Amino acid sequence: MTEASLTETDLIQRAAQGDSDAFGDLVRPHLALFHNGIQRILGNSADAQDALQDALLSIHKDLPRFEGRSRFSSWGYKICMNSALMFRRSRVRIQDMERPEPLALGPFDAAGHHTETDRRPEWQVEAQAHDLVERGELRDCLMRALDELPDSQRIVFVLKDVEDWEMEDVARHLQLAPGAVRQRLHRARALLQTRLRDHVLGGRP
Amino acid sequence: MTLLPSCHDVQTHLTEYLEGALPFHRRLGIGVHLLLCRVCSGVLRGLQALPWVAKASLKAPETAPEEARRALADVQALLRKGSR
Repeated sequence: MTEASLTETDLIQRAAQGDSDAFGDLVRPHLALFHNGIQRILGNSADAQDALQDALLSIHKDLPRFEGRSRFSSWGYKICMNSALMFRRSRVRIQDMERPEPLALGPFDAAGHHTETDRRPEWQVEAQAHDLVERGELRDCLMRALDELPDSQRIVFVLKDVEDWEMEDVARHLQLAPGAVRQRLHRARALLQTRLRDHVLGGRP
Repeated sequence: MTLLPSCHDVQTHLTEYLEGALPFHRRLGIGVHLLLCRVCSGVLRGLQALPWVAKASLKAPETAPEEARRALADVQALLRKGSR
């Protein structure tokens, strides 16, 4: 094993020279971050583990080119994101059909206005959701809701709303018109908001 | 509200509204509707809060899950094999 006193720079040098223990010590503190980023894009699949493995090999291969201009964790995270996006492009998406998720949260009357507005409970995001987020109680609900989304909507939501990509960058990466990206993003947001509202108001697991 | 867009119409275009992608007259109609409609303004607040809720809820856990540790162990084994 490498000594505990080794700095990250020492570990990078040793790992680049083929020291697998140093590579483990270098990557382990950031492994949860790397895996989490990949899992958000690919979901709970064997693909996520394969993509992480590919990403770790790429990180090792590119270590001699790491110049220390950014933090190692940020540099490695970018490689993990690229690996996940490459995996996403290559995998067969048999079920990735545009499903008719609602664009709006009804019910509506014939004129398109809300019905039963007096009885409609209002989801106080700022209050109730904040408490649940603090207690870590929304993660499972959100992961399940993300898994419900078609891949084409999930990727847009994750890149735009979770990874903070610019709309133009998402459109360029997915080779879509910005209008199509906005529509997919809206469908994803509508479904996620519905699931979160059900969870917050109904207390469902 | 007959001259204003319906709730369904407003909610269908809320992401475009938030992204500033609508022409002025559409933006104005939706803006006025949101001032008058408690339910649609609640939906708007929900959409605006969603990125924060998602980021906070989906942040990385403290420890890597078993499958991630296994992936690292596999890569280390490959590196050891390659260095022989």
